[in-house]
Order: sequence, then structure tokens, then C-alpha cells
Amino acid sequence: MRILPSLSGAWLAAVLAGSGCRESPPAGALVLTQTPLAATSSLPAATVLDERYPPGSRVVLLLPPYRTNDVRLLSQGLLAAGDAVVAPDGRTVYFAGRRDAASDWQIYQARLNGGSPRRVTAMPGGALNPAVAAHDELVFASPVPPADQPWSPPQPAALHALKPGEKSPRRLTCTPHSALDPTVLADGRILFVTVQPGGADPATPRRALFTVNTDGSEPTAFAGQHDGGWPLLRRPRLLDRQWVGFLAAEHPAAGDLTRAEGVRLARPQFSRTPLLPAVNARCRALEPGQPGEWLACLEPLGLNRRGSNDTFAVYRVRADVPETVTPLFDDPAWHEVEAAWLAARPRPQGHMSSLDPRRATGTVLCLDVNETSFAEGPVTNSAARVRFAAWRQGAEQVLGELPPHADGSFLVELPADVPLVIEAYDAEGRLARRCPPLFWVRPGENRGCVGCHEPHHRAPRNVRPLAANRAPVSLTLPPPALAGPVP
Amino acid sequence: MNPRGFVAISLVGLVAVGGLGAGSYFWSVGHVRRWTGNPTLGFVSCTHCHGNDLNKTAWAKPRPHHPAPAGLAVAPDGRRLYVALDDVDEVLEADAETLAVLRRTRVAGGPFGLALDRAGRRLFVACRHQDRVAQLDLETFREVDSVFVGLEPVALAYTETPAGERLLVANSGSGDAALLSLSPLKEVARPATGREPFGVAASPDGQRAWVVSRLAEPDLAAGGASAHPAEAGFAHLFLPAASELTLLQPATGRVLRRVPLESAHLSEDLVYVPARGWALAPLVKVRNLVPITQVAHGWVMSSGLAVADRQGRVVQVPLDEANAYFADPAGIAVDGAGRRAYVASGGSDVISVVDLDRLAAWLDRADEATRRDAIRDLSLADEYVVARVPTGRNPRHLALSPDGRRLYVSVRLEDQVWAVDTERLELSARLVLSDGGTRDPIRRGERVFTRAAHTFQSQFSCRSCHPDGHVDGLAYDFDGDGIGDNLLDNRTLRGIDRTAPFKWNGKNPTLPFQCGPRFSRVLMRTDPIPADDLRDLETFLKSQPPARTRHFTELGKPLSPAAERGRQLFFATQRPDGTPIPIARQCQTCHRPPLFTNRLKTSVGTRGPRDVTDEFDTPHLLGIGASAPYLHDGRARTLEELWTTYQTNDLHGVSSYWSKHQLNDLVEYLKTL
Repeated sequence: MRILPSLSGAWLAAVLAGSGCRESPPAGALVLTQTPLAATSSLPAATVLDERYPPGSRVVLLLPPYRTNDVRLLSQGLLAAGDAVVAPDGRTVYFAGRRDAASDWQIYQARLNGGSPRRVTAMPGGALNPAVAAHDELVFASPVPPADQPWSPPQPAALHALKPGEKSPRRLTCTPHSALDPTVLADGRILFVTVQPGGADPATPRRALFTVNTDGSEPTAFAGQHDGGWPLLRRPRLLDRQWVGFLAAEHPAAGDLTRAEGVRLARPQFSRTPLLPAVNARCRALEPGQPGEWLACLEPLGLNRRGSNDTFAVYRVRADVPETVTPLFDDPAWHEVEAAWLAARPRPQGHMSSLDPRRATGTVLCLDVNETSFAEGPVTNSAARVRFAAWRQGAEQVLGELPPHADGSFLVELPADVPLVIEAYDAEGRLARRCPPLFWVRPGENRGCVGCHEPHHRAPRNVRPLAANRAPVSLTLPPPALAGPVP
Repeated sequence: MNPRGFVAISLVGLVAVGGLGAGSYFWSVGHVRRWTGNPTLGFVSCTHCHGNDLNKTAWAKPRPHHPAPAGLAVAPDGRRLYVALDDVDEVLEADAETLAVLRRTRVAGGPFGLALDRAGRRLFVACRHQDRVAQLDLETFREVDSVFVGLEPVALAYTETPAGERLLVANSGSGDAALLSLSPLKEVARPATGREPFGVAASPDGQRAWVVSRLAEPDLAAGGASAHPAEAGFAHLFLPAASELTLLQPATGRVLRRVPLESAHLSEDLVYVPARGWALAPLVKVRNLVPITQVAHGWVMSSGLAVADRQGRVVQVPLDEANAYFADPAGIAVDGAGRRAYVASGGSDVISVVDLDRLAAWLDRADEATRRDAIRDLSLADEYVVARVPTGRNPRHLALSPDGRRLYVSVRLEDQVWAVDTERLELSARLVLSDGGTRDPIRRGERVFTRAAHTFQSQFSCRSCHPDGHVDGLAYDFDGDGIGDNLLDNRTLRGIDRTAPFKWNGKNPTLPFQCGPRFSRVLMRTDPIPADDLRDLETFLKSQPPARTRHFTELGKPLSPAAERGRQLFFATQRPDGTPIPIARQCQTCHRPPLFTNRLKTSVGTRGPRDVTDEFDTPHLLGIGASAPYLHDGRARTLEELWTTYQTNDLHGVSSYWSKHQLNDLVEYLKTL
């Protein structure tokens, strides 16, 4: 029995050593993504992450007082890493990483006290863009889109959610284009980026912000659909109680998204604006900061629009400060392209799902198909019929048509988990309004909409829709006469 | 005893006990079926009908009282602040600068609303629980006079008219306004208002006065139902309800105009802005006619402000934003210049600051159609709401200093009064009246009940549909059981202790079941209320007594002759000609005293065209006179309609032999419960 205390001590020592027993990160620590100044590989980037985080890119923990030789490597053992996010608990860090050139990008959880990170996902085609929703649920996009065709690849990226302790993630989005860059709003919705069809330049499809619940229900336009701003946007973040910030660019050829823009939560469709108008710099990341300020990764530009010091660094910025001041941290040997405080923040609201996974359909209630933002005053081209189609294999498959009720309402049961196209035709058979395949219903979801392309942020009138007095019209299978792709 | 004997006796005992048990079971099932007339009922507890005692209910037991601030009034010189503490029957005087308490006085009967005369010598107090208005002399700080008014007076407005001084009193329980002369203090008129008048205001020149009601009623004059192919007797269910802004002549009490506030309700305050000729009332824009498929985008309700001009034209504008909501707007105050309005959001613990110049500019720019739909535009508030000031839990009443530099806030559920510097929009002083009652589960439960943060984007609280735990008078279409099916009247939460099960289909056996995950899924669309909060909420709900329907002066008195005749009708077992009334059709069978419910489901022939069942939970009748409308979908607007328009084949009691006078007698009796 004398050996017992010795064994216990040895076991404790082994556990402590195995867990990398180092002191917890102090307040003020930063999680950084650093990319090398020069490419270490001559091969073209295969995916968007290869392009963004070339081999050698790493995620590190930077401790105050922010010395270049005092960083803790969080992506130990990985060929490349980036895309880091700090969970609301302020202790959990996820990032996208790639073990070697032959493996996919996956989501890893960092060990803040040292040691190799733990791989969290094993998605075919890889995973990217981690975010953390209510109840520590991990949200990410998968598969990783190719670099040359990120938005419309053969298999577009979709958002997925993975609860702690579960192994199989749930798919959340059904967009025909890639859904990327999820982040979580305070009300629990996931804000993400996808293509808004119908842009003026087909070569540069407009991207816009959308929201979806954590069960994949209620996909909704959030901002950027019709504001006329730069068409490319990426990496939205809830900056504070008032602003959602993101990166915007005019041309994809710029190679890098440059400008920090934002919308006000109070009226996101009508408030898009540059967030750092006086700062002459290229921006790679914008994150919430201490109260009254944000954290940005900037490359200050000189008069010739080239980088003045050729590296991205971390800055504390405020919208009302005219010039970028001394960086908070700048390692001349690296680009600091992303930075986030390792700090707790309010947990987002949860969402109680009312879906019914046993069903294969959902229901859509439209209050007035003739309420639209496409017309001033009363709509003259009233819809005489509404056509529904499902977007499958890149083509529309007509599900059927129905006439709206006299008040413009309709109630229809539609197949779940497939992008839906809704078109309103007038009495002469002319297309009056069209909802592109941006939306879907989840199994058992009851979805409501005020009108057909109604003005944004419009609450419904308090009117009982006539459609609510009838059972929903079931359009769940394409009728033979209408089956097949729309020419 | 040998083993065989033991076994034999045991077997006989077991058989006897089993037989007794089986016999008791079958007897009790037969007993219940015989008394209810419902052959589908199985075994039910004896306590459904027996052993109930109102004295055992949680709401009949003593509860802790808290110095929760209600109405506020600031002296004309700005040096004194008066605070009504309705739950402890006190009014206090505080230094308006430091908020130090200077004097206290006892005013019996739940002092709630306050108003000062022009000189600041007399303070008038609406005593909600004793149906009276008390007059305090501010020199002695003692009650010197009192007059009874209508039921549950809650708000007062003082003005001087050519006919003399007048005090207008909102009687929330009786749906009218008392007009008082002050020398002597007596009632001179009592015009009818909308249902549950809660806010009053008067112009300083004594020419106009306004009363706003808290509950909405079907706006039959609005039309629009003709397009709805509803069955006869149901059309009004599909009409938007409207609360009422009543315009009065304060000298005489003559009603000049009744302005409907379409689909608006829960207005709890009103202010007149002389500089603009506006009356402003916070409101909740309710969308009960729209099936609740979602909460986002104000689908269920949103907060707003009614702006009524001198001609009585009303524009409703939003106070909410596209992604942030400010639930349960309550008190409102406007500075003397009419530049800024402050609106307390009791559910969101925020004061919204409205720039009235900007609002006026927007109103000038907007065309008629834009104004009409303004309340729907959730991006509009950004035009004129210039700040949101966080407060403590449940800000309700507001008052401004005469110079407009200090805003006083009743932070009701923290037992505090705050003074906010209106330039810096920061707290400048605080009057702490208690620790907030944090050790009282009823108080904690009330905080849960009034907290909008449990709902998606903090859009509404439990109180948004159940003001004071009671009804909002509306029916809703929850989508959980199908869009358009099973329209449900909002049932009262008052007097519900020991009346389980809950919900009209009787499927919720307990309040935590009703208010927990189920409610989270069908309405709040967020995480369920945490278990500890849910326990407190249950305690709070059970502590709520039934709504009072008799005037304070009538309490404890015998029934009137008409009500007594109605009582005999209620308990009748046979018709006047001696024909027995089937037990299952006697009122007292289902609505069995003392709770006036047997807590079982019953079919009384009220299945509607979109109902999936004809069996509904039997509601209790305590305070029934104040909980209109009636039946599971709220189709009966009055108690009378239950046995006129909606009685079918004597299923809901045997009423075919009643004369109209007997029906009136019965209704008189029901209103006393």
C-alpha cells in the first residue's frame, strides 16, 4: 500500500503534464491569425482557404504586453490555419486548419494552455468559418469552396451546426450558391453571406447578408440586397449593440477585400456606410473591441495606394477617430490578418425549434402577394396566379400554381429543404414579381411572409388572411404536365 | 397460525381489497359520468368537485407587500416630488433634487395615480382598490377629503375650466371616466370611455381632455369583415379590434369624439403637448388576426406611439426597430416646449427618447398612405428616437421637472425612483425604497412575468397579453395545431390557483408545463424560461386574485334582488313547471362552487368551423364579469350573448325557458362572482 501515494502523485503529474498545465491566459490576450509575408509554395491555391491562409499561416495567442516573441502557438502541428473565432465563454477558440497538403481543411478547437489542437469536424470536402451559437453549438460552412469558383461550385458550401457532444452536424441552409461566413447575432440568429441573384454584372454576383435560425428555419434577407453598395462582402461581425460590420470590395480582382463597412441594426437595409471613412488602409478583419472601439487588422496605404509598410497589423479603431494611430501589435515578420479579444461576451439567445423532422414539407402563408416594394401606391399588376418551383440540380422544377385569394393571400404546402422559386403572374400571364431561389422551408415549418418582395422590415397589417380559412394547397410534387425544368 | 391459514387469509384480504378498489373505481367513474353526463370520462380526482375551499388558494393567503412606486407628480416649483406607493398604502414626498424622503402619509386603498392642482397646494390620489379619489392637503400632508368614483381608478388629470376646477379620473374597472368638481369635491359626470381607461390628459386651457383605454374591442364600425366568408356569428372575430381615445369637454364631461386606435391596445398613459396640439399615447400594435407563424418582424405585436392632433386624426408610429424591440410601453412624459418625449418600456427596462421636432418633420413629409402604414415600418423609429436610456427593472410611470432637466422614473419592481439628467441622459439620483423584495418569490415571479427578454428579440412579455395578469380581450391563432385552426381566446391568469388543467383544450396539467417549453415553442421562440424563474412565475401567477367586479362600497353586502334571482337560476335543478334539469346541464355541475369549475372538459355545443374538437376545459367564473369576451374563441362579446346568439339546444345550461329578465338576473349574479 505504500506505493499508492507515489502512484497517485505520478498519475497527477502525468495528467497535469498531458493537459499542458500552464497558467490560464491573462486578461487582454488576443487570438491572432498570422500569415507569412512571402508564399512558401509555388502551387496555385486550390480553395478559398488556401488562398487566404497559405502554408505557414498560423493561429496564435498573444499575451499582454504584446511582444513579438511572446506568442503561444495554437495551431501546432498544422500546415496552415486561420479563421479563428472566440466563443462567448471567452475560453474556447475554434479555427480552420489543415494538417498537411493532402488533407482537407477542418475545424479545430485550440488548447489555450498548449498542445496540439483537437479536430472537431470531419466533413467531406472540408469545413471553414467557425462560429459559436447558443448553448455552445458550433456553426460552420462546408465544403470549402474552390478558389476559382467559390460561390457557384458544383457543390456549394452550406452552413452546418454541431451541438457539443454530437458527431453528426445538421445542415442549416439550402441556398443554390455557397453560404459562407456565419456569425451569430445577439438574438441567436445566424448571419451569413450568400449570393443575391439578379445583380447587374453576372461575372461579379452581388453578395448580401441573410439570417437563419439555428434550426435552419426562417431564412431572411438582412442587408446588402438592394443598397447599391459594393457587391462583394465578407466576414460580417456583430460589433456592438448598434453595428454589424463586414468587409466590402468593389472588384474581385483586387485580390483582397479592402474596406470596413457596416449597417446599423436599427435599419440594416438603409444604413450601409464605411465604418472607418478617414482611415486610408486595407482591412482584413473587423471584430468587436472594448466598449466604444473595434479591433481591426489593417494595412495602412500610402499615397500610391500601396502598403506603406507592407504588413497587416492589429489596431484599435473608432469610427470617430480620423486617422489610424500606432498599431496595438505588429510583428514585421508576419501579416496579422485576423484578431479577436480572448474575452467573454453575452451569450446569444437560444431558439426553440418547432420543426417536425417526420414531415417532408413545410407551409408558407403569404398575407398579400400584391404587397410589394416594386410599385408606388396600389399595385396595378395584381397577381392572378402564383407559380411555385423547386430548384434542383441547377434548374427549376415547377411544383404547381394556384390563384391567390381575393385579398392576395395564399397558403401552400411545399417540399422542405429545397430552394424555392415563387413567381407572381398577372392576368395576361406576364411575370409581375419573382422571388429567386433564396429561401426554403424546413420540415414542419410554418413560414409567413407579408407580401411578394415587400419592403424590408415591414410588419404585417392586422388583417385576417382569407387563406387562413382554408386548408393549405399541397404542391409538394411536380404534376406531370408541369414537371421538368423551366426553359 | 399455520401457513395455510395465513395464505388463505391473505388471499381473502387481497381479494377484498381488490374488490373494494375495483368497486370504488367503477362507482366513482359512474358517479362522475352520471354527474357530468360525459360518458368518455375515466377516473378523475375527487377534488375536481369536492373539498375545495377558497381560503386554501394561494391568492387568498397573506402576501408580502412592497413599496413599489406607481404614479409620480412634481410640484409646480420643481422642488418636491410625490410618489404613490399603492402596495403599502402610502404617498411620500421627496426632495426633487436629492430624492431624500421628506414626509410620508398613509392613504388607504392602493394609491396609484397622482395629480397636483395648479398652485401645488393639493394632491389628488386615485385609490385603485377602494374606488375613490383622495385629496391631500400639502401643507399638513394629510388626507382631507375623499369621493367615491368608478371601479379601479388609476389616473387623474387636473385642469381649470370656465365652470371651475376639474379633475378627470380614469376608472379602469368600470370603463368610464369620473369628472369631479373640486369645490366641493364631488362627481359631476361619468361619461363612458373605451374598455379599461388607463391614461388621462387635459389641456391647460380647460378646453379639451383625453382618455385612452387599455383594452381593445372589435371595431364594428371599421367594416372590412364583409369580405370574410365567416359563418354567422363569427365575422366579428376577424375584425381588427380598436382601443379608444375619448375626447371630452372637461367642464361638462360631454364626449366630443371617440377616436378608435385601430389594432392598438395596452395604452397606459397619455400626455397632451400644448405646443403642438398633440395628444400622445404609447401603445402596443397587436396583430392577433394574423396566424402566429413567426415572431420576427413584429409579427405578433410591436410598440408604438399614437399621435392625435387637434382634429382627432391619429397617426401610429413605431417605437421599435428592425432588430430591437422595446416591449410594454407604459408611462410617457413631454417637456414643456414640446421638443422631447420620453416613453418607458416596462418590459425592456428602457426609456426611449423621442425627438418631437424630427417626428413632426417626418409627419409633414409623409403622405397619407405612408402615415397610415407608418406603424408597420420597423426602420422608421431611427428617424426620431434619438436615445434609449437603460433603467432598472420595470420602469412604469414618468414625470418631468418643470424645467425639463430631470426625468423621474418609477422603477416599479426594484422599489426605486430614478432621476435621470435629460441632458446627459444618465442617472443623477436614486431613491431606494427597499431591497426590491428579492427574497419574495411572488415578486421575483412578477419580474419574470414582465420581462420581455424571454422572447425573441425581447418583443413582448407575459404581461403584454395579460396586463395585470388578466385578459387583453383578444383571440389568437397559434400555428402549432395548423394555420387558421383553433382560434383561442386569451384566458385570464387571475384566480387560477387550483384550477388546473390549463389551456382551452385542458392539455397542460400544471403552470410550469404551460409556461415552460410549450410556450417557448409556440410563442416566445427562444429558450424556455429557466427552471428557477419558472417556479417563481408559478408562485406569482397563483398569487393573483380574481378580478374584482363589485364596487368597494358593495363588498360584503348581500346580493341585490336581481342578482339573488340570478343565483337561484344558476343553482336551479328544475324548471319553474317542475321539469327536472338534467344534472349534466345544470350550471353548478360544471361551474361548481367555490371555484366555479369542475376542471373537466365539457362539450357545450360551441365547436366552431375550424375547431378540431368540441370539448373544452371548463373555465372558472371568478371575476367573470371582467374577462370578456367569452367561450374558447372569444366569439361571445358579452355574457348575454352566451345564451342568446351562441346557445345551441340547451347544451350550455338549459336556458330555453328563461325570459329576458331572467337572463339579466343571471348575468347580474355572474358579475358578482
